[in-house]
Amino acid sequence: MSRLTRRIAVVVFAAIAFVSVAAQDLQLPLKPNSVRFLVMGDTGTGDSEQYETAAQILKWRQRFPFAFAIMLGDNLYGSERPQDFVKKFERPYQALLDEKVEFNAALGNHDDQNQIYYKPFNLGGKRYRTFKKGDVRFFVLDSNYLDPEQLKWLEHELEGAGSDWKIAYFHHPMYTSATRGPVIELRAALEPLFIKYNVDVVFSGHEHLYERIYPQKGIYYFTEGGSAKLRAGDITKTSLTASGFDTDRSFMLVEIAGDEMFFQTVSRKGATIDSGILARRKVRTDLSPARNPATPVKQ
Amino acid sequence: MKRWIPVALCVLCTMYVDAVRMSAAGQPANADASTLSDFKKRLDAYMAVHNAAEEKVGALDPTKSPKEIADRESALGQAIRGGRMNAKPGDVLTPEVARIFRRIIRTEFAHRSRLALENREEAQDELPAFTPMVNQIYPTTYPLATFPPALLRELPELPKPIEYRLVRQYLILRDSQANLIVDVLPNAAPPMSGLTGSGRK
Repeated sequence: MSRLTRRIAVVVFAAIAFVSVAAQDLQLPLKPNSVRFLVMGDTGTGDSEQYETAAQILKWRQRFPFAFAIMLGDNLYGSERPQDFVKKFERPYQALLDEKVEFNAALGNHDDQNQIYYKPFNLGGKRYRTFKKGDVRFFVLDSNYLDPEQLKWLEHELEGAGSDWKIAYFHHPMYTSATRGPVIELRAALEPLFIKYNVDVVFSGHEHLYERIYPQKGIYYFTEGGSAKLRAGDITKTSLTASGFDTDRSFMLVEIAGDEMFFQTVSRKGATIDSGILARRKVRTDLSPARNPATPVKQ
Repeated sequence: MKRWIPVALCVLCTMYVDAVRMSAAGQPANADASTLSDFKKRLDAYMAVHNAAEEKVGALDPTKSPKEIADRESALGQAIRGGRMNAKPGDVLTPEVARIFRRIIRTEFAHRSRLALENREEAQDELPAFTPMVNQIYPTTYPLATFPPALLRELPELPKPIEYRLVRQYLILRDSQANLIVDVLPNAAPPMSGLTGSGRK
């Protein structure tokens, strides 16, 4: 190997190492009193990929100590015997449960509704609910069965949420570039309420991938349905897609401080696949439906 | 004086035709109201069985024990089945109710966009082929297809915990606490058109 070749090899190796380390850097600011949480969806497979992703989540929690998690549905695939709750939820996230991380689940189409009685999912015996962390109000919806009663409840709760950050989450995506496409009827039912009451961000699962959508009518949409299941190569990037990842499992770390929401999406292998800062809807001047991309996090 | 006779006859004829028309329009409406009132009574009768079963197995508060949840779901299902062992298709969704529901569902489907219909078929694609039956436990390993919100607005409200679900062309009434199929209506929805054809899980 010539001296030149060796030098090139060293430079390439250093560059790869730098990029690799940078990709594993925490890009969230850890501001005092911020609201920090984990977002994961379509988790309940009980397979090795779920466990590996859970182990990666645990590693990142050492650097980003979130207090709670939101689960976007399909919390348990297949059978739901007591041993399945252990295999598909309790064991993979045991360390987080031991550290009193609070899980807040939504129901997916694969979930038995009686999961609402499972205390660690914090649904409190209800299919839909709301809870507050700091100045962030979360609305957990059941997109499997969006009956008029639920919509009425949602409108009432949104109306009373005042100036809090408003984050809605549920299983089926209203916007996605995945092959199956968005659930149009869900959008028709929910979007007018989200716009009217200034919902800031919406998280969904169902599609087994990660996607960030350009703001639609001023609202940011994320799909994170790949925290255990994967539908590889399923994103057909469209004008909606701000960022997409469909080659491995992933999860999101989110921090909200003041009028800013910081996010970082991490793969099962620990690489950062997306990150950025979003401004709260009420302080944004540009609420055009077209494009209002997230600002990349400054290093 | 005689020249008023044709005018009077015309007026009388018009009134008669209007009366017939109003009657024709009113009859189905009245018949529907009566049928839906009967439907409600049948639901109430089911709820009486459900409530008696629930009293027997006890209420469930949120628990850390999945076993407690599974045992209770199973016990509730068994107790309800025991209370309606002779239940058969059409007990709640009677032929008269079926006629109304099929009309509502098919009209509603006819007014959906192609994209919405694709969504509905995608949701059904996830279901393995099975024939739902009365008093059957909904297969616990199968997903539940999302029920179209627009159709929920059209159908009569159900007492909790009963819900509507579509299984391909079947409309089912499902007790979500007991995970039990209460009644089944075949040919309720239009046949799958193959809009998606993906059949993916």
